[in-house]
Formats: sequence, structure tokens, C-alpha cells
Amino acid sequence: MSPPAPPRKPSAATSSSSVTATTSPNPSIKAPLHPDSFLNELTAMFERSTEKGSVWVTFKRSSLKMKVQINKMKSAGESIEYKCLVRATDGKKKITTTVGVKDHQRFQASYATVLKAHMTALKKRERKDRKKAADVDKKPAPKKKKPSAPKAPKENS
Amino acid sequence: MVYIAAWDEFVERSVEIFRSDPDTARYTMKYRHCDGKLVLKVTDNKECLKFKTDQAQDAKKMEKLNNIFFGLMARGPEVDLAEITGKEQTEAPAPKKGRGRKQ
Repeated sequence: MSPPAPPRKPSAATSSSSVTATTSPNPSIKAPLHPDSFLNELTAMFERSTEKGSVWVTFKRSSLKMKVQINKMKSAGESIEYKCLVRATDGKKKITTTVGVKDHQRFQASYATVLKAHMTALKKRERKDRKKAADVDKKPAPKKKKPSAPKAPKENS
Repeated sequence: MVYIAAWDEFVERSVEIFRSDPDTARYTMKYRHCDGKLVLKVTDNKECLKFKTDQAQDAKKMEKLNNIFFGLMARGPEVDLAEITGKEQTEAPAPKKGRGRKQ
């Protein structure tokens, strides 16, 4: 007969390995989101920051493993699978996701769509600017009269 | 902070930074809609390159750079850039085939 397991109080300290484990959930730090929900949140961030504020998006390559594990895998001859870690923040809220090789093309297309839809405040170069620049270049040219114009002799002695 | 004026130089040097240290290098983008400004930063905590713009055409160039970085990060720094840009072309075939009806 196996002895009953001693009653363990489920504390946050046992689940997380970090020393600074707090019992109350920190609202600004979230667990990694699924790429699709990350994109939804990112869209919401852009929409919230229209009047003021910034949106930061950071990409970094990560294997999401600790260095000890990486060294072990390297010595065992296993190849380490890397993912692209994507973080976004609007200065207050932080969201994060990881994109693997298989998801990255789909994520990249959706991410590009989100950016295109929201980066509307950037200036568009109109053709008028190009024409104006061309005119500015041309203006001084016709002003210059050729001094070597052949003058017909007026007076004949 | 080193601001690069030429886009191509920024792309080339940032890929170099990433390839030399793929585990620490990161690519950051900051967008301010109220100012209409976009700032890109690539750093490996030793060197830092930045690119600032307010032009919509640079947003398009940035998308290509995003694709490059995605490919480098997900697949690995040994990936050739031509492979990434070549893949884009194969995925998005020119839709103009139907127009070619010249006799």
C-alpha cells in the first residue's frame, strides 16, 4: 500500500522556478500568446495609440531553452530548434509570442497586413513633389542666357 | 545612436550584425502614429544601428526587411538572402498572366 502523498499546499513557488514569484498575477506580464491572438492584440494596440503613444515591436531569435540545456544538446549532437520571439508593447501593456519555422510565413503575411493597415500616418511621396523638384532644377537653366550668341555686325564701315 | 541615412546600407549592416551574433541580435520597430514616425533599430548590445523615417515608401521597404529577419531568425543565419526573396516570388506569382492576349 502506497502511503498517501503528504498534503501539499499548491503554492506559486513550486510551479515557477523564479525567485521573485508573486502570488498575485502581474497584469503587465503575460504568458506567450498564440501568434493569431498576438496579432489581434497588436491590432488593438495600434488602434489605441492613434492619438498619442507609440507601439514597439521587437524580433529576436531564441531557442527558448536555458543555456544548460543548450550545452547538453550540443554535446549530445542534437540540433537546436530556434524560434522567432516577437514582443510588442504600447508602453503599458506587453504581449509576446513565438513563431516557429512552419508558422513564420503565415505570421509574416498577417503581420505585414496589420502594419500596412495601421501605418497610415506616414507621408506619401506625391508626384507633385517630384515635379516641383524638377522645376526647381530647371528654373536656373533657362535664365542663363548664352553669352556666346553670335552677334551680327550692325555697323559696316 | 547611429542613424543610417541610406536604406540599403542599413539593411546590409543589420544583416551583418545578425549573422555575426544571431543569439544576441534583435530588431526593434517603433511606430508613433501621432507623429507619423517610424524608427527601426538593430543591435547586438555592442553595435547599434537605427533608421528613422516618415515616408510611406519606407514602410514597404521595412516589410521586406521584416521578411528577411523572419527568415534569418526562424531558419538560421546561414540562410541565403536570395533564398528568402526567391521564396517570396514563388509564393506570390505574377497575376498578370491573364492580360497577355496580344495577337
